[in-house]
Amino acid sequence: MARDHGGAKSGCRSLRKMKAARFMIIALLIWSLGPLAWQLYTSFCTDQALVTPFASLDQRWTLVHYQSVLNSNPPFIRYLFNSLFAGVVSTVLTLLLAIPASYSLSKLGKRSALFFKCLLIGCALFPYVLLFLALLEIARYLQLGNSLIALAIPYAALSQPLAVLLLTNAFSDLPPELEDAARVEGLSVLQRFRWVLLPLISPAIASTAILVFLFSWNEYPIALTWISDSDQLTLPVAMARIAGSSIHSVPYGPYAAATVIGSIPLIILVMVFQKPIVSGLTTGAIKG
Amino acid sequence: MTLELRQVGRNINNQWIVENLTMTVADNECLALVGPSGCGKSTTLRLIAGLDPVSTGSVQISGRDITTLSPAERSVGMVFQSYALLPHLNVFENLELGLRIRGVSKRERTSKIRQVLDLVQLWNRANNRPAELSGGQRQRVALARALLREPEVYLLDEPMSNLDAQLREDIRPELRRLVLEQRKPTIYVTHDQHEAMAMAQRIAVLNEGKIEQIDTPYNLYHNPCSLFVARFIGRPQINCLKDESGHIRGVRPEAIRFSDSGLSGKLQSREWLGNSQLLFLETQQGVIRIMAPPEQAIPEQIRLTWRAEDEILFNAETGLRLSR
Repeated sequence: MARDHGGAKSGCRSLRKMKAARFMIIALLIWSLGPLAWQLYTSFCTDQALVTPFASLDQRWTLVHYQSVLNSNPPFIRYLFNSLFAGVVSTVLTLLLAIPASYSLSKLGKRSALFFKCLLIGCALFPYVLLFLALLEIARYLQLGNSLIALAIPYAALSQPLAVLLLTNAFSDLPPELEDAARVEGLSVLQRFRWVLLPLISPAIASTAILVFLFSWNEYPIALTWISDSDQLTLPVAMARIAGSSIHSVPYGPYAAATVIGSIPLIILVMVFQKPIVSGLTTGAIKG
Repeated sequence: MTLELRQVGRNINNQWIVENLTMTVADNECLALVGPSGCGKSTTLRLIAGLDPVSTGSVQISGRDITTLSPAERSVGMVFQSYALLPHLNVFENLELGLRIRGVSKRERTSKIRQVLDLVQLWNRANNRPAELSGGQRQRVALARALLREPEVYLLDEPMSNLDAQLREDIRPELRRLVLEQRKPTIYVTHDQHEAMAMAQRIAVLNEGKIEQIDTPYNLYHNPCSLFVARFIGRPQINCLKDESGHIRGVRPEAIRFSDSGLSGKLQSREWLGNSQLLFLETQQGVIRIMAPPEQAIPEQIRLTWRAEDEILFNAETGLRLSR
């Protein structure tokens, strides 16, 4: 190594690069995980400890915030299930519509496919908050208020552009000969979906499903306006209610505890599907 | 059983991909489709399989018109260039899928798959995924799938182009044994004229979507109907000499001899081919290729000659053959 000057130098450089990369990663982790860690810390602190963080207290740690959140009326778990229900229904609805749509889009000629993709990108870029007044009118007219299933309809509609774009890329990435061979073997369109297409694009389906689910899990303005019955609230709205429950003080502790509880299902979901998410996102990215 | 194409054409955006194809493939015959890439070979297969719709003409099997039938309703066994095996299923499941769809009972499926895998000598790999197989093994699985279809026609789309040269030569006899012994009309698409001559009784040379000539390998080589066919069939390529009268004279490299008089030339380079040598000679009429025996000495004053009957005359403008 001493003899090979160039090698030693480049070794140094790559070492420095690695250090820089490590520093960047740590900074990024602090940046993104810091607030979460703060929330976690807050959720376990007594109110006293929160306002005087450096004083030595007899009782610094507590589970009282969790108790108050879980024992509220209706219990906080209820909102969790409401969100889960709305999320699952909107995800299923989105996929049911997006999969056939993207299959056809991947079979279209180049020009018309480009046209429809541009339209979809336009829809995806549209700030959906601008729609919510109109949606509210529709909901009122069709009497869809206070129904979680009805809430899944705008969610599925709003997720449609992104889902179709992701899945179209997945379909066009498949070698066409696989489907041709299945056609020669005598498989109908539905049989081809069952045996050939769906298994092969399952990573893309999983990543799309997660993105759709995340959207509906986090969605606030539509849920706020469509649902007033406190039994039917979704998580973001319920949490906002906790935050605004008192005029005189902000209930930091219960709010933090609610955030932590609300994040757990997502963390589990992402951990389970981590691999397909990454591969699904990158296959889409490469084809562009 | 015969396969018959009558004036079949496919037109996309006012462009003919294949045009006016008429040919008959007899029972127990292997017809090779050859031509440069983009000449419409694969499209022709897709039209026969029903994967693409024809724009004109009709396709018949044993007199039965199948032009408008779906691929499922036609009985064709197709082997794709990429083998097209499903990566998430193992060999057995890949073969089972089509049988299951066609309503074959579980017991019959197993016995049939066992039989065909024994035939291609892959029964011991039945539980492997395609990714765990070599290229040659995948090709045999794809072939087994076509055999299981028990088709009336076999369509092979460049079945060996993904294999290396040595393996291709090894597999050729096996392919002949497996497919040609089914005694069904077989169409073999390849861009390799050598492979076509080895596998097929007759060869159809395609050029820009049209058939230039259909004939036996011998006739294609010795009596090409056009300059295109003469150039496409035979390696090293035929020599094309422009004559004073405006015709093109084609002479095969092995027909040219050294002599005392005739066209004079200068040795440019030579390639050893083992059982022969290929000489490149510079002459007034351009570079001429000669196949000579390996022991052939090269004279100092090079003069070239050939017999008149070894010369094939072509019209320089149309490229068509002139009668002798």
